Amino acid sequence: MNQNNTKNFRKTIQFFLLVTIVGWAGFGNAAGLFTFEDIEKPKPEFARSNGVVTARLVPRAKSSSVEIHFRVTDGGEMELVKGVDFATVDRPEVDVKNFKSAAFEIRIKGAAQDREAGVSIFSDFFTASTAFYAFNPNLEKPWIDTHATNLAQQGRVREMIVTVKDGGTLDADGAADGVITLIGGPRDSFWGYALGTLFIRFFGIFIVLSVLMMGMILSGFVFRRFDQNKKDISGDSDVNNRPENDRLEVAAVSENEVAVIAVALHMQMKHSYASSAADGKETTSTYGLWAAEGRKRIMNDRLIVFNRFNRYDN
Amino acid sequence: MSWQQVLDLIISIFTTQTGLPNLALNQLFMLGVALLFLYLAVAKKFEPLLLVPIGFGIFLVNFPLAPLMGYTEHGTPELIRAFYKYGVEWEIIPCVIFLGLGAMTDFGPLIANPKTLIIGAGAQLGVFVTYIGVLFFGFTLKEAASVGIIGGADGPTTIYLTTKLAPHLLGANALAAYSYMAMVPLIQPPIMRMMTTPAQRRIRMRQLRPVSVREKILFPLIATALIIFLVPAVAPLMGMFMFGNFMRECGVVKRLSDTSQNALMNIVTIFLGLSVGATMAADKFLTPKPMLIFAFGLFDFAICTIGGILTVHIMNYFSKEKMNPLIGSAGVSAVPMSARVSHAEGLKADPDNWLLMHAMGPNLAGVIGSAAAAGMFIAMFQ
Repeated sequence: MNQNNTKNFRKTIQFFLLVTIVGWAGFGNAAGLFTFEDIEKPKPEFARSNGVVTARLVPRAKSSSVEIHFRVTDGGEMELVKGVDFATVDRPEVDVKNFKSAAFEIRIKGAAQDREAGVSIFSDFFTASTAFYAFNPNLEKPWIDTHATNLAQQGRVREMIVTVKDGGTLDADGAADGVITLIGGPRDSFWGYALGTLFIRFFGIFIVLSVLMMGMILSGFVFRRFDQNKKDISGDSDVNNRPENDRLEVAAVSENEVAVIAVALHMQMKHSYASSAADGKETTSTYGLWAAEGRKRIMNDRLIVFNRFNRYDN
Repeated sequence: MSWQQVLDLIISIFTTQTGLPNLALNQLFMLGVALLFLYLAVAKKFEPLLLVPIGFGIFLVNFPLAPLMGYTEHGTPELIRAFYKYGVEWEIIPCVIFLGLGAMTDFGPLIANPKTLIIGAGAQLGVFVTYIGVLFFGFTLKEAASVGIIGGADGPTTIYLTTKLAPHLLGANALAAYSYMAMVPLIQPPIMRMMTTPAQRRIRMRQLRPVSVREKILFPLIATALIIFLVPAVAPLMGMFMFGNFMRECGVVKRLSDTSQNALMNIVTIFLGLSVGATMAADKFLTPKPMLIFAFGLFDFAICTIGGILTVHIMNYFSKEKMNPLIGSAGVSAVPMSARVSHAEGLKADPDNWLLMHAMGPNLAGVIGSAAAAGMFIAMFQ
């Protein structure tokens, strides 16, 4: 049986590996190994109110939408904010997975030439470790950390303030022309989040089930005490209120019933023995002498019943 | 009408209104897959209650031009699309199945030995290991979570979570979950033997204490309150599960309990199976992701089995009263198959050692554990 199981296990693994490989070879996109269509691409919708532009979008790895707000703190006026398809700014040094809310283009007008402007980006979706990365196609390495100040605000909101100089490194249009174009997006560590949440949630299950375990141990203790007290008060006479297994002990068992149970046990053991023997496994009987003796007697009795030549003699 | 016109009409009918000329190679392949699963269900009795409707769903939906999973011009869903839309997409059927499962479940062994709940938690190891593993293969976080839950070996939970997080993987995930659940007797024993010594397999456990009816009635209320307080996201599944169990144990609504266990359960199983099978149209299913899901599903089951057994070993290290580590594998859910496997392996080591009721504890804990894992994932993406 053991060998059969091992063989079957091996066969199962081989079968599914084969299916996987054949399926992959036949139908998979071999050129784009492990690269799949970006099905979680955020699609922001923008609204503007009192100089604050709000982007509403479903970020990567989220089922519900979040809001990200943009405003110019000083040095200019917000002209527009729009979404940027990450494919157009994708470079080998960045991983799209780290940009959960995609990338934005923020344009500030009326900035004094060669002067700095402050852009505030705030949302309750950001964490203390969220950074803001900017993209400047004129640079050799286009993606750079803006080292934005990350501040905690009321209501779990985090605010990032990016300082951009007209015509400076972060200005994607590259010209000191009074218009600042900041392309970039909030960045979180995908793997840090994935691994962190893995441990937290796995141990979370232990916590949930441990709390349930403690609740059950406590309630079990209370119920047993309660049943015990009730039994003491009623002088052990109230059979119906006792646990199920206790009722079995109280019920009267006739000799015939004992005999039936013994035969059933014998048949069960015989079946186990037969199954093991059929599997070709060497078995060692652990039933003891009483079982062997009982079995012998039962077999002798059966012989009397089924031996048609001797049946009437007995 | 000339002969040419008649011929043109016949050709037109043949090419546009019959399926044969529109049959593609990948559809033919999927029809073969459908027949394979029907064979496994009918001839080999692999989870036939689910694999028969799923297999037939695959079979139906892969015929060209069949109006089953689309929408009409007026936006009305076609037959199986309607089952899918209102049953699965609206997340109703998995919860109703949980109601029936609750009505079928006797929590006695778990109440008698609550320590086994920890085994149910440990057996979720594979869920999280697989979750990380598939991320390396380019899956999104939501897809990874839906694939990881396969190892929880709980069909309705897998379907519920996948519908919520990655509905495009529903067919592959459900099929992998039910296929591997059916193969638990093949997958688990070698791992169980590898993770235990003969002496450990012979450990006898103390007989479980009797559980009063009153305890059984109050268990679903206590468990629901504690779990939903801690993981509110799991309320639809756990609420229905415990409601079904409460109906069973309270003893005053036998008709409702009976309907939940039998008629209702059977009805929703038919619609669930057909709907899930019908999501496996060739153009959607024959992509690399489902193939990877099948490979990772097996890995997931193996790691979950290891996790359960390892948890028992760790608990034994700190406990005076030893548990037989074979019951750890039952923590993967797959009720009651994995408990039976633990029992059978125990009997091989010691023919007088009856582990079935001891293994039912972690088995039921596995159901709660996998639902809790699903709740954790749902909460993570909210």
